[in-house]
Amino acid sequence: MRNILQKIKNAVRSRSIHVSYVDVGSCNGCDIEVLACLAPRYDIEQYGIYVHNNPREADVLLVIGSVTPQWVDKLRDIWEKIPEPKVAVAIGNCPISGCVYNRRGTLTTPPVENYIPIAASVPGCPPRPTEILSAILSVAPLIFKDYEENQK
Amino acid sequence: MRSIIYYVREFLRPEWLKTFFFARTAPLETPSYFKGYPARTEKECTRCLSCMMICPAPGAIAVLRKKDQWGPEIYPGHCIRCGLCVEACPEGVLSSGRILDVTRRDGTAFWSWYHLQVDDSLCMRCGNCCVSCPVNREIDPQLGATGTSSSDEVIMRIEGGRVTILHEEKCTGCKTCEINCPNRAIRVARMVEGVQGEEAEA
Ligand code: SF4
Ligand code: SF4
Ligand code: SF4
Ligand code: SF4
Repeated sequence: MRNILQKIKNAVRSRSIHVSYVDVGSCNGCDIEVLACLAPRYDIEQYGIYVHNNPREADVLLVIGSVTPQWVDKLRDIWEKIPEPKVAVAIGNCPISGCVYNRRGTLTTPPVENYIPIAASVPGCPPRPTEILSAILSVAPLIFKDYEENQK
Repeated sequence: MRSIIYYVREFLRPEWLKTFFFARTAPLETPSYFKGYPARTEKECTRCLSCMMICPAPGAIAVLRKKDQWGPEIYPGHCIRCGLCVEACPEGVLSSGRILDVTRRDGTAFWSWYHLQVDDSLCMRCGNCCVSCPVNREIDPQLGATGTSSSDEVIMRIEGGRVTILHEEKCTGCKTCEINCPNRAIRVARMVEGVQGEEAEA
């Protein structure tokens, strides 16, 4: 019985992923690709992913951008607000390396890994919507599977 | 009433029900012509570094030696998949999407040279640049200590109290002149231009 319930829970969870995204300082190219995921061509909701911008309701945080100093504490705040189980996915080159902003004299402090734990990253400048989708779809169920059981 | 019946009938059509419940957008496939991260081909790298010099993203590409073979290495997370390195490589060592096919079809290529520029308001006519240039010294071993030369073949010489650039095209881009200029008056810049047709074949 417990097992069956657990299976149902896992299945439901993997089909109901709530995503919120935050841009901590980039060119907005990756934001546009995330928005393209919402549009009918890629239609993120057919995979059971719902995007809204309230960290308190989110399971997955998409982090975009190369972290400007003003964002450092705010990004941590947002991460704290997300209820467990949670996972952060870095979208684009910026959170990984700083990309084109990673030059002398720029006000960015990549990588984003220094501030919050990142479970997966999707490189690209910008990454394709398909890559973003498959990253969310592959990483989220892994983290959420048997979450409560693994905590014990 | 008629319209209600119409709607009910419309929505009970098996076809409609099927699309309503089982609709799926196209599968998530990347078309083959999309530019991916540049991949190695079989060709041998000559270590000319054209790929590294044209790359716009910091830290995206490095030409490294593995055992006795040099070859470019692409770093995802830095590379922006612009494909410029694929186009710039004279040997066709890298490939991505259909870039190589298109450049072959259209006969396009990158043409690069070094541009020398002296800021006359900073230059104090010392001639260090002309004297230190290894190409200059090769061409005219009798080069004057002040940068004067009787040869018309040198890259640059002091002429009439100022630096005159004669043969920019001979510059190898070593930047020795830049390093030896006490005033940072001379600048060497690598210029790249896209060319097509006969020019590209040359
Ligand atoms: S594709 Fe563009 S960004 Fe990537 S290594 Fe080549 S030149 Fe650099
Ligand atoms: S990959 Fe091509 S452009 Fe780059 S160093 Fe090798 S031969 Fe030159
Ligand atoms: S860059 Fe080198 S080759 Fe070119 S002018 Fe300066 S010293 Fe001479
Ligand atoms: S080394 Fe500099 S200051 Fe001297 S002549 Fe050349 S450009 Fe002018």
